[in-house]
Amino acid sequence: MKIENNMGKIGLIIAREYLTRVKKKSFIILTILGPIFMAILTILPAILANETQRKMNVMVVDDNDFFINKFTDTENTTYTYRSGNIDQIKSEAFNNNYDVVLHILKGTQSLNSNLYYEEPPTLDFTSEVEDQINKLLFDQILIDSFRIQPEQFSVIKELTRVSIRSIQIDEHGSEKEKSAEISSILGMIFGFLIYIFILLYAGQVLRSVLEEKSNRIVEVLISTVKPMQLMMGKIIGVAMVGLTQFAIWVVFTFLIIAGFGLAAPELFTDPQTIEQVANIDSENINPEAIEQQLLESETIFTQIDQYFNVSFSTLIFCFLFYFIIGYLIYAALYAAVGSAADNETDSQQFTLPVTAPLLLTLIMLVPMAENPNGSLAIWMSMIPLTSPIAMLIRLPNGVPAEQLILSMVIAVLFFIFAAWLAARIYRVGILMYGKKITYRDILRWIKIK
Amino acid sequence: MKLIEVQNITKKYANHTALKNVTFSIETGTIFGLLGPNGAGKTSLIRILNQISYPDEGQILFNGHILSPKDVESVGYLPEERGLYKKMKVGEEALYLAQLKGVPKRTALERLHYMFRKFEIESWWDKKVEELSKGMQQKVQFITTIIHKPSLLILDEPFSGFDPINTNIIKEEIIKLKEQGTTIILSTHNMTSVEEICNDIVLINKSQKVLEGNVAQLRQQYKTHQFNVEIDKTNIEIPENFGFKILAQKEEYNRTLLTLQLTTEYNSNQLLTQLMPYGNITNFQEILPSMNEIFIQAVNENRK
Repeated sequence: MKIENNMGKIGLIIAREYLTRVKKKSFIILTILGPIFMAILTILPAILANETQRKMNVMVVDDNDFFINKFTDTENTTYTYRSGNIDQIKSEAFNNNYDVVLHILKGTQSLNSNLYYEEPPTLDFTSEVEDQINKLLFDQILIDSFRIQPEQFSVIKELTRVSIRSIQIDEHGSEKEKSAEISSILGMIFGFLIYIFILLYAGQVLRSVLEEKSNRIVEVLISTVKPMQLMMGKIIGVAMVGLTQFAIWVVFTFLIIAGFGLAAPELFTDPQTIEQVANIDSENINPEAIEQQLLESETIFTQIDQYFNVSFSTLIFCFLFYFIIGYLIYAALYAAVGSAADNETDSQQFTLPVTAPLLLTLIMLVPMAENPNGSLAIWMSMIPLTSPIAMLIRLPNGVPAEQLILSMVIAVLFFIFAAWLAARIYRVGILMYGKKITYRDILRWIKIK
Repeated sequence: MKLIEVQNITKKYANHTALKNVTFSIETGTIFGLLGPNGAGKTSLIRILNQISYPDEGQILFNGHILSPKDVESVGYLPEERGLYKKMKVGEEALYLAQLKGVPKRTALERLHYMFRKFEIESWWDKKVEELSKGMQQKVQFITTIIHKPSLLILDEPFSGFDPINTNIIKEEIIKLKEQGTTIILSTHNMTSVEEICNDIVLINKSQKVLEGNVAQLRQQYKTHQFNVEIDKTNIEIPENFGFKILAQKEEYNRTLLTLQLTTEYNSNQLLTQLMPYGNITNFQEILPSMNEIFIQAVNENRK
């Protein structure tokens, strides 16, 4: 009966913490904007990359007469040549549907050129023009100064090409080709997500504890519920807000991207496969074939399984595990900090030691991602205050099972310790008003029976 | 019958002792004044009664049994430092606090709506707490304190922050609750209200109990045999050889006002007969010490 009652009260606290936050305008706005932002981040590069498809008519005016008839037309770009007064050519060109006018100024060593346009060309176009100019000049120098034909040069270059494939051999002797780059990027993304989540939501626990303390409502509350219940209710309630937001983000981001994927599939498949599909039925693209393609691209999960040394399900499980345990550890510590401080400015002296390991991990993000099995990454993935981020960075590259399990066990044990410690500080701290609290005070609170 | 028995409570903190061997009891259905200067240990005692903290020594009996966690639902507590969640809606917040005190949602809603109507704050139900004035917030907080019909109500400075009209509303409500059988602990520095509504008091100073008892009885006990006398004549000269001393004498509207100190071997009737020859006595009243004076006297005696 009593236990039921206490559970009911924790439930009430969780519900209040959850509902007041979820109903807040800032939560709703952030929850809606998050996926849109994420989707834009994903789709925008695809759209931008796609813009190269635009057909460009280029009028080339070369004062050196060197480039005349030398540019190579591409699928989307055609070059026409004129010489004469640049201003006159410009106005004529734009009247005659030319997109840009490329004016190469007179010069010997380094060449200056101006690109005139009415609508800005894509970056890809500009760099293509630049590449062509450079190549033409380079080839000319090869011929003039080194007496080498450009074709010969290409042959030499082809002969000396080296490529490195990285293949890892696991303990069973089977080989696995992996992409270290994708692994470390994925690791960094996961690590960063956890960092953001901890900072956002554990920080909310701190502010919420501070609010109750400076409001003095805490005195009424703990005359009804145990401080431990209040603290845990708060931590769990805020965690559920975070998970809700995260779940909405994931689902909506996926839906938006998938929606775009269906509406404009060419954005998400590389040109080669599009060509292949186009070859099947070049006149009109067969929707079934596109669907097939999308299905294939969904096997990215199996690709991940292939690329990385952990299965996709392990990766997701570990992500959720460290996501939650990392939040719980920091939320407990932040709750203790909030209880010890009297106001937000006051809290900063205590937040620093708690936030420092978090910041340190963030600073070490790139070095760890670059060398995921180095001793720095291994140690940081064991220390419980840094492991939630560090382990996720290492994981896509493969982590020995015993290290993973050890790290998880340490994290869980440390959480129990942190919760115990936080509860001891919290129960005394929340009733201390108007006093400047020192670390010595906090040590004494911990010792009080 | 006793609702609360505080038995030999001692509470120590790192640097000081907040309560030292304090013992007293509170009768069911009375208003009990918990008095003492700032820092005397009242808050420590209130927190122990609320089970926010626990005594190092001694125990508290509640309704005859040792105070236990389930008793928190029988206690209503209005702390001196008021506080509500500022961003919550008034109604939601009151409902939350009522539910935390173990009132089922439906009952809580019924009672809240009734109380909100009674205190004329029904229209604030959907307003945010931060939109209310301080006095309005106090009303809301008072309601949430009594919503679960506690058998023990602990009020720490309940009148501070209220205007005279609202003070009266709250005072009447407190008296009504007492009549319904609620036991009320009133911790306050407002001695007038103690005289007005408290049955018994305990005075704590420097962690120790220095005085306890019934308010009327204490005032008798502390009386100093002084009298105010009004005679309808002026220019009278009374010799001080009748067993009393004149502490003050002044004239107003053809009357003489006297404050007299009677020595203990005489009584008031003897004093009256002594005074009658000087004129008609239009007022004769014994001066009883105010709780304020008793408070100051007891604290000062304790200091010696």
